[in-house]
Parts: sequence; C-alpha cells; structure tokens
Amino acid sequence: MSLDVLLVEDNELNRDMLSRRLARAGYSVRVAPDGQQALEAMRDKTPDVVLLDMNLPVKDGWTTCREAREDPALAATRIIALTAHAMGEDKQRAMDAGCDDYATKPVDFPELLNKIQRLVDQKS
Amino acid sequence: MPDQSGAQPLTNHVTRALAELRGESASFAGELTSGEREDMDRLFSAGAALDALLADRKLDEQTRHHDMLNVLGAMRGYAEMLLDDLGPRLPAMEGVLQRVLKSIAAATDGVQPTDARSRELASVPSDLTGTILAVDDNADNRELLTRYLQRSGHQVIVAASGTEALSRLADRHVDVVLLDLIMPGMDGGQVLRRLKESSELRSIPVIVISGRQDMEGIIDCIEAGADDYLFKPFNPVLLQARIKAGLERKRWHDKEEKYRRQLERNEKFIRATFGRYVSDEIVENLLEEPEGLKLGGDLRQVTMLMSDIRQFSTLCEGLPPEQVMRMLNNYLGVMTDIILKHQGTIDEFIGDAILAIFGAPVQRDDDADRAVQCALDMQHAMLQINRDNRRAGLPEITMGIGVNTGDVITGNIGSEKRSKYGVVGHHVNLTARIESQTAGGDILISDSTLQALALPVTMGESQQVQVKGINEPVTMHRVLDTRLSQSHVS
Repeated sequence: MSLDVLLVEDNELNRDMLSRRLARAGYSVRVAPDGQQALEAMRDKTPDVVLLDMNLPVKDGWTTCREAREDPALAATRIIALTAHAMGEDKQRAMDAGCDDYATKPVDFPELLNKIQRLVDQKS
Repeated sequence: MPDQSGAQPLTNHVTRALAELRGESASFAGELTSGEREDMDRLFSAGAALDALLADRKLDEQTRHHDMLNVLGAMRGYAEMLLDDLGPRLPAMEGVLQRVLKSIAAATDGVQPTDARSRELASVPSDLTGTILAVDDNADNRELLTRYLQRSGHQVIVAASGTEALSRLADRHVDVVLLDLIMPGMDGGQVLRRLKESSELRSIPVIVISGRQDMEGIIDCIEAGADDYLFKPFNPVLLQARIKAGLERKRWHDKEEKYRRQLERNEKFIRATFGRYVSDEIVENLLEEPEGLKLGGDLRQVTMLMSDIRQFSTLCEGLPPEQVMRMLNNYLGVMTDIILKHQGTIDEFIGDAILAIFGAPVQRDDDADRAVQCALDMQHAMLQINRDNRRAGLPEITMGIGVNTGDVITGNIGSEKRSKYGVVGHHVNLTARIESQTAGGDILISDSTLQALALPVTMGESQQVQVKGINEPVTMHRVLDTRLSQSHVS
C-alpha cells in the first residue's frame, strides 16, 4: 500500500510540481492550499506524512502544526516543514511548533524522500 | 529597482536555456510519453510565469522575490523529473536539461541575496540570532535598540507601552524581551509579573533596562523572575552579550520543552495503542523502554493461549439474550483480570473465545510458564464462575484451553482507519486446533510450549492428533490442575 502524503502548499506551480513528483515516486498524494484545509484533510483521514509549507494563507504552517499537536487524534502525525529560507530562525520556529523535520525550499527532492522515509521508519 | 538589474540577466539565461529545450524537444516529440510532454509543458508555463513576474511593475521587491523563488523551485522540479526520465534515453536532451537546471540554480542564487537584509542575516551565525521584543516608551530608545539589534542579525519587534508589549507577545513568537522599567500606564514590573503568570510566556527571558538610580526596581524585578538587567545608557557590547545569554537560555528551554512534548506524545500514543489490551505494568514498561516496542510487524516467538466455552451456543439457545450477555461479560471480565495479572496481552475476544499472547509486545524469558500458570488459574476460576451462575439461575459452563508456542508475526494489523495490535501466522491456527481438541476443564499444550517451560507443572497423558490443515500429527500434552483434582476428590 502506498504511503499517503498530504502536501500543503499555497503556490499552485509548486503544489502541482511536487504532487506530480511525489505521485511518480509512488506516494498517494492529497493536496491542501492552506492550513485550515490541511487540518480538515488530516481529520478526514490521517496521512502518513504531511509536507507543510510554513507561509500559508488563512492559517500559517506554524499555527497549523501547533493545532495538529494539540488535537489528540492528530498529535502523532508526522509533519515535515517546508521553510522558505535557509535561515535558522524559520527552522527553529518550525521545530518549536512541533514539526518532526524540515526541508528548505527549493526542495532537494531526493533529500526530501529520504526525510519522509526516515520519519516513516522511525515512527512506525 | 535594484533587484531587476541583478535578477534580469540571470533569468535571461533561464529563458535562453528554455528556448533551446523547446527546440530540442520538438525534434524528439515522437519519443516523449504523454506524462513527459505534460511535465515539459508545465516547465514552459512556469518559464512564462517567471517572465510575467519580472514584468509586473506593481509588485514590491519582497513579494517578487518570494514568488520568483517559488516559480524557480517548480521549474527545477520539472526539469529534474524530465532529466530522470529522458536523460538515460535521449543523450541530446540530457545536455539541454542540465543547462536548464544550471540556469535555474544560478537564477535562484541571484534572487536570494539581492535582499540586503537577508544577506546580512545570513552572514550571522543563525544560532546567535532570534526575535527580540524591545519595550520602551521613548521613540528614540526604540529606534536605537532596533538599529543595534538588527545590525547583529536579530529580528526586532517594538512596543511603546506595557499593554502593547503584551499584545505583541500574544501573537508573535519572541525569544527575548528587553523591558524598560519606567513607562507610563502599565510599567515594566507589571508587564514582567503578567509574563511570569502565563504558562506560555513564562519561559521567555526578560532583560530589564533602567537607570542606575532605580536599583531597587531592578532588584524587585529580578525577584519577580527577570533574567538579567542593564543600566541606561547601555553599552552596546554588553547589550549583545546579555541578549546572547538570554537566547541561549531560551534555546535550552525550548529544546527541553520539545523533548518533553515528544515524550508526552509517545506516551499518549503507547497508551492509546496498548492500554486496552495489556496490563498497566506492560504499558509502564513500554513507556520506560519504547525501543522495545516494534509496531512495524516483526517475527518473534510468543506463547498463545486460546480458550473457549464448551457448547456455548447450544447453552445459549434456551436463554434470553440479556442473560447470555450477563454471563458472558462476567466470564470475560474474570478471565481478563487473570490474563492481565499474568502479564498476557489480550489479542481478541471472539464471542466466548479468548486469544491471549504472552511475549508481545514485551518478550520475557518466562512467557510459556506464565501462559500455563494463567491457564491453570483460568480453569480454577471456573469454580467461582459456576457458583455465580448457579446463584443467578444460569447454567454451569466448562471451558477448554489450548496453549502453543511458536514464531508469529506481531504488529499493528488492519487498515489505517481501524487497526489493532495482534498476531498472525501458522502457529495462531495451530493454537486454535489444539484448543478444539479440548474437553471441558482441559488444558492441552503443544510440544514447543512443554519444551519452553522452566517451572514444574503436573503433566497428564500425551496424545498425537491429526488436525485439520496440518499434515503431521500434532503432539499435545495435558496439564493437570492439582487444586482442581483435589476439589473433585473432596
């Protein structure tokens, strides 16, 4: 059974590209354009991994992650933050919000796949 | 616009590389799959989006940079996918795609550092910077603090009053607070007390700033939980050092907090997964040594116990359903307590049948011994259950138990929506077959369980039985309950 990845990204071009790429890598991909819809999608069906952009409209990635952690049903969901800058603060804030890992955009895809796999192995 | 002079020539390279790719791909059009054609189209439309961003004069610099990075990221993704697919097949395309990727990488680098502030920030080691809230009622002081702090790479938020400071803290993440003590309205001391009262904000280090004449106020604040202090006019080097110490404190605290939360999450998960099936003691063990917990499904030796009430459905036929449920629940409740007492894991109840596992999720040396002792206690408890039944005017029941030891796969079995911890494998079936050979009051164990026993038990006769689904006859040994036989005699 392929892993269910929820990709949360507001930029359409990037969302399309990453979802195609993840699908080709064998994942089953769902997408959400903002934090609010991401939480709804997570509650609808808990994904194996969430790829969460931090700069999102409606509800940003940090808030989304914190809310997921506070919801007992979602608390154990694996979340990888996608941060826009290679700067320490973004990463630190993502980890503070409860993300399990982070990847800097533009995404290094093989590295992202490694991170997903590592997280799935580690927590399964 | 400064960024256009920098970014434009670089994106010109991208445009040229894309034009070359378009030309090349036209000559290979027949060799591309529909998916590859689509990736190619999307790459070209992202290229058009990039041009549109550069042409859009209404965008502010920061938005343009942000959007360009997104588009370049998408282009890189498509180009990498195409390179993966076409590279091995079409060497001519491989070269072009590599040039496209190189131009995208150069443009990405070109966009990033044109933002002067981010370049400055990037040059400071990131672990020394953070978000500082500077609270001062004096505009010049705020301005000065902001300049000092930004120069060292910190993000600065300012507040002109105590009330404003609290509202900033409510909606922004802050690493260190610089707090002027003497302010109109809510003063620094009051802000500090409010901070320390809040479980969320308590951990943010506070550095109070005041004049030398207000030493008493500073001492008050230190007692109220301030971490450090500075005299006005402050020395910039000292300010840096104090802020650095504050940031380090905050970082340690955050790390600790994160670790604690992770532990809590693990604990919640383990309790939710196992709480219903295993004893509290096993849950505690799992919490202490979570690495002993492998949920992915692993092959391990366990001892399984299966019990069943003889002729239960026949017994039930003449009884009203609520009486059946009462009898069954009493029976299962008593048996559950006995199994948990022997540190068994209840895998499932199937009607009146019970499958319990000894050795998963936690493996111990005496798994087989505990299983057999558990079986003896279960049979012994039937005396009490039948006393209860007689008193309630219910029929007496008898139970058979089969015990078997072998390698099974243990883990979370099921779908994502509904899964349970359980075991699968040939030995589970064998356990059921052994159990099916029992009469009421019997305990039959397999050869492998007998071999695994360390504690002495009183054995009865052995038998070889041909069971369904297994070619070789299976050897079973009867375990005698000395307490039961005595009570029969008396």
